[in-house]
Order: sequence, then structure tokens, then C-alpha cells
Amino acid sequence: MANVALAIAALGDPTRRAVFERLRDGPRAVGELADGLPVTRSAVSQHLRVLGEAGLVSQTRVGTRRLYRVQPDGLAALRAYFDELWGSALGAMRDLAEAGESDVEDG
Amino acid sequence: MTTVPVLAAVHVRRSPDAAFRTFTERIGDWWPLRTHGVYGDQAAGLSIVDGQLVERSVGGETSVWGEVVRWEPPHRFACTWHPGRGDGVHTLIEVEFRPDEDGTRVELVHSGWEIYGDEAEQRRAPYEAPDAWNHVLGLFARADN
Repeated sequence: MANVALAIAALGDPTRRAVFERLRDGPRAVGELADGLPVTRSAVSQHLRVLGEAGLVSQTRVGTRRLYRVQPDGLAALRAYFDELWGSALGAMRDLAEAGESDVEDG
Repeated sequence: MTTVPVLAAVHVRRSPDAAFRTFTERIGDWWPLRTHGVYGDQAAGLSIVDGQLVERSVGGETSVWGEVVRWEPPHRFACTWHPGRGDGVHTLIEVEFRPDEDGTRVELVHSGWEIYGDEAEQRRAPYEAPDAWNHVLGLFARADN
């Protein structure tokens, strides 16, 4: 599942953003992505790994080629975003509730 | 098309009544309004007023984020959710407050994601936004137009 916070962080790097932008035109292999970018193939591979961990890019094997593509599921990202947001917001709500005078016996 | 709701839960070492009141009466004290509001650093508060969840700005403007659709203190609370503008398209927040042995389990269900369907413009947009919350607001605002 995509993680919007991770995704935003991943796209903060300009080269990584360039790699991602190139994938928006369609699935590509590492070599194709590296052509035209001022970085090595292994650097592109590294960027793809980070994009993959952020849920932005997936890979498939087609014959002997490994193709990378954009993960189109923005809905999942939006849900993931709220998942995280509600998790931290409810934590804050709990802290506030528990900071008040206790009305529950401890232990 | 149906989508799986977002589920979030937290245990509060207080009674359901205290948890319910903190969630509802003090929502402006725990919701991260500065970073997750309509008015940003101009936000003055968020509260439930006359059955609506309303954000206020320091300049006196108001923005309705949702309408209360269930109000059963201290057991459950539900409201529509459309921060940003109008209620043309909204999701739904339902919160249950269940007593357990040493407090209350607060369970939140955020459902209704299918309203976003397959709208192509929205699919990848969360990734492109420099600020995801602004994008979320944009989704609601666009959907309302």
C-alpha cells in the first residue's frame, strides 16, 4: 500500500522525481530510464527502490526484462493517508482525555 | 464499487462519557488544525456547533466540515466529512465508544471512499501534491463544484 508521507518524501528528490515523471509515460526498463538522465543505471535502480517502498512504483518481469510502472492506485494512497492521520489524531485525543482528571480506577 | 473503510482505534483510560466529550466537545484541542485545517495558520478553532463540524478563522470566517448524523452520547457519534467546502460529495466518520475493563475503546470508521471512483485526475494526484492535506482539501473542493 502506498504511503503518502513516504511518497512525498520520495518525490522530494529532483532526480527521483524525474525518474517518476518518465514512468508516467508508460512502463520502462532501468536502461531506458537512465538514458537521458545524468545519472548511472545503478543510481536509477536505487531511486526505483525508494519509489517502490513508497508505493509509487511497481515492477514486473516481462521475459528477461524488468519493467517499472507507476502504481495508479491513488485511492489507496488517500486511504493510507487518512489511516495515518486518524491514527495520530486519535493518539492526541487519548492524551488529552487522559490528561484530564481521572474518572476511571487505575489497574 | 465498494471500498474498504479506514479503521482507527485507540484505548483511553477514561470512561466512555469522558472519551466521548473529549472527542466531540474538545475536537479543536486535539485535531491537528494548523497543519490539517482549511485556514492553515489563520485557524482559530474547530468545534461542533448546531449539528455541524465547523472550523473558524481568526478573521471570523467559517467552514463547515461535516454534519452530525448520529449523536448518541456516550456510545456513538457520526458525521459526514467534507473539509474544504460544501457537502456535495462527502465521506463518513463513525465513532464508537465501548467500555472495557480499564477505560474505553474508541473505534473510528472512515468510509465512503467509493465516491472518488475512477476519476482519472484524482488517481495519482496525492503523489504529486507537495502537501497531501491540501490535496485532500482539493479533492473535496473539486468534487463539490
